[in-house]
Amino acid sequence: MLEQLQIKNLTKRFGTVIANDRVTFDVRRGEIHCLFGENGAGKSTLAECIYGTYRPESGAICFNGELVEFNSPRDAIQLGIGMIHQHFVLVPPLTVLENIIVGTEDAKVLLNTQKAENKFKELCARYELKLNSHAAIWDLSVGEQQWVEILKALYLDVKFLILDEPTAVLTPEESDKLFRILNVMKRQGISIVLITHKLKEVMQSDRVTVMRKGKIVNTVDTKSTTREQLTHMMISSEIAVQGLKKQINSESTVVQIKKLDVRGPRGGYAVKDLNLTLNSHEIVGIAGVAGNGQKELFETLVGIQSPESGEVWLDTEDITHWSPAEILAAGVGHIPQDRYREGLIGQLSIVDNLLLGMHRSPRFAQRGFLDQERVRAFVQEQVDQFEIVAPSIDTVVGNLSGGNAQKVVLARELFQASVVLLANQPTRGLDISIADYVHRQLLEKRKEGYAILLASEELDELIKLSDRIVVMFKGQIAGEFDAENPDLEQIGLLMAGGNL
Amino acid sequence: MNWAKIRLERRDEVTWAWRLFCFLVAILGTLLVTGILISTAGKEPIEAFKELFIGAFVGIDSIVETLVRATPLILTGLAAVVAFRAKIWSIGQEGQLVLGAIAAYWASIVFEGLPRIIVLSGVICLGFVGGALLGVFCGWLKARYRVDEIISTVMFNYAIFYLLTYLLSGPWQPPGDFYVQSAPVIEKALLPNLLQDTRLHGGLFIAIVVAIIVYILIKRTALGYEIRAFGSNPIASSFKGIKPTRMLVVVMLISGGIAGLAGTSELLGVHGRLNTDIAAGAGYTGIIVALIGGLTPLGTVIAAVLFGAMVNGGFMMQVITGVPKSMVFAMQAITLLFFLCSTLMSQYRIKRVTEDV
Repeated sequence: MLEQLQIKNLTKRFGTVIANDRVTFDVRRGEIHCLFGENGAGKSTLAECIYGTYRPESGAICFNGELVEFNSPRDAIQLGIGMIHQHFVLVPPLTVLENIIVGTEDAKVLLNTQKAENKFKELCARYELKLNSHAAIWDLSVGEQQWVEILKALYLDVKFLILDEPTAVLTPEESDKLFRILNVMKRQGISIVLITHKLKEVMQSDRVTVMRKGKIVNTVDTKSTTREQLTHMMISSEIAVQGLKKQINSESTVVQIKKLDVRGPRGGYAVKDLNLTLNSHEIVGIAGVAGNGQKELFETLVGIQSPESGEVWLDTEDITHWSPAEILAAGVGHIPQDRYREGLIGQLSIVDNLLLGMHRSPRFAQRGFLDQERVRAFVQEQVDQFEIVAPSIDTVVGNLSGGNAQKVVLARELFQASVVLLANQPTRGLDISIADYVHRQLLEKRKEGYAILLASEELDELIKLSDRIVVMFKGQIAGEFDAENPDLEQIGLLMAGGNL
Repeated sequence: MNWAKIRLERRDEVTWAWRLFCFLVAILGTLLVTGILISTAGKEPIEAFKELFIGAFVGIDSIVETLVRATPLILTGLAAVVAFRAKIWSIGQEGQLVLGAIAAYWASIVFEGLPRIIVLSGVICLGFVGGALLGVFCGWLKARYRVDEIISTVMFNYAIFYLLTYLLSGPWQPPGDFYVQSAPVIEKALLPNLLQDTRLHGGLFIAIVVAIIVYILIKRTALGYEIRAFGSNPIASSFKGIKPTRMLVVVMLISGGIAGLAGTSELLGVHGRLNTDIAAGAGYTGIIVALIGGLTPLGTVIAAVLFGAMVNGGFMMQVITGVPKSMVFAMQAITLLFFLCSTLMSQYRIKRVTEDV
């Protein structure tokens, strides 16, 4: 049978968010099949459903012609399905061999190291891998650690391997080596599903399935498509009408970012040699798939992260190493990428959340004591003004809908900011009417003279709001465009690393 | 295809009536399980509980004794409340209590010649400082070196106890004395009596005052707000200028100081001298009390009185019915377990989800 894996109408929900919407998808035996799309498209969720980590709400999964229902990855592993995640699940102090056999039959009561050692040698030979079985994990390079993850799967005789953004942590040489290994696996008859947002990798596959917003856009033979076509499928194909934005002349430079280098969580550079200016009465849009350094850039501007080198200037002040409190006091507002983790305190009320950041300002606190009446009056005002739907201002923010929670963040930041607004994916997960509301607020502040930096994965949002659009890829600015007549194909290409 | 699931879903609204119901269910559960334990030991549960109650609440002497037992628990409980609200898991109330008692005793020696009011204020202040110093040090260790606060505070509990033993068998042991204890504290430094001819002492007053202060702190001050915000989401809080370092140091200072006051109260209100029994587990029990009290000042006071009642009534129970008073420790643990379950019960509901393809 040609299809090793068949998925029909799979739907996976997290609360009200539909991560996978009636997905129908298949993988043929022995092919390299890419799942392509932006962050939040649903690729990882789909993979986790195949691997058994998640249980879909509805839909059917057929593996080797039989209907399957996985209670956990263990069931999937038993059928020969393996998955390698972005974050490795290795035990650093243990050796390569120990990591490979942990949890397997050869490590149940007694360690069957001789058998394991033999199998290890044989696998290394077959896949042209050079690894010392007694080396400790912490001693290996990231690329080598990934080989260990792959060997773990091969050791269990995997027939169907899913890799989630495997090259995110690799150097170009290591990525090439990975693809050589994958091709050897393919020749051995192992089917491979590769989750990626990079065009370069997609073009090396047999077939590619493009996902957008939880839905399958299309599945095509890689040979019969082009990079431009794929890009087009990945990004939104509707272009919004530019009615609202009127041409305003920027009066002055407000923020200057010079040669910014920021280290990322894995030791490499999340932002490298970045230069950018923000002027008053201006919205600068950052296009790019999330994970290309936008988060680190915003965190540096807000004061949470300190850059390794480079400068950030606000008017005439060098704010490069200022603390969040100082930057807040200077009039910089921040709508964070992850509203529940970085912007709101889910267990506290609307009142407490709107107060965050202003809890020591003379307006609300005198000699350490909060003026509850003043605070509540202010909060009620904001709730009315922003039409935040909630039973009362004491409602816990975790119980609000995503849109109303974002309105709380918006109300707070728009109030606290006086010169600069940093908005990172401000309409992610919001429905159209609330997204529109956010847009109008941003444009309003632009008119008032704020310098606004807007990062978004939605190109049409960027075009609607920005004066200028820059593309961020792997921590650098890949290109700058005028938002009047932007070259969409070029932008999409740069977003996917197309010119590399 | 049928995908049937059982899920725990957070309740939207938790009315206090429902909370009260869950609370009562917890108490019922505790009595039931403890009752079973008592009957398997061959005794009559109802009789035992009756004597427990009488011993705890019937008669002025019983009530006083219950309150005296509750006093240190109120303070160590409040110390835990302050720290836990900030999600700083300080388990050091025991050691902070002892160091507070040590500091208060030392103060009583140093301030000896001065007028009473100065001596009393001095010993109370220094008792606070003793516990606060220990707390701040552990807080600083976490802020600066990422030393886990559970480890540092528990280790210090042991270290401070050895310090106490050293002091009491060395420099502070009256010459010629056998017992591992200090000389009696001077009359001037002792906490005043609240009720004539009883053991009710000024420590209860201190405890209630501190409870009120903690309530005001958490509800009405900017610092209290920061503690709540930081405890619930340190990341979002740091984005808005609430520094983790500052929180660790300030919260541990307050928490340690309150526990130090517990030691002061026991020294100057109950024992009258420094001995190795000064803490007797009050630090650890205080944590349980705080958790049962829902990490609120009022709840802590009530839970502390409850536990004080259990310990006090346990004596009567043992004397009259023969049920060993160590049964009370079992009761305390069972109470905690039931209260934890009832908290889950009050905040979540069970939902069965079935969906067809």
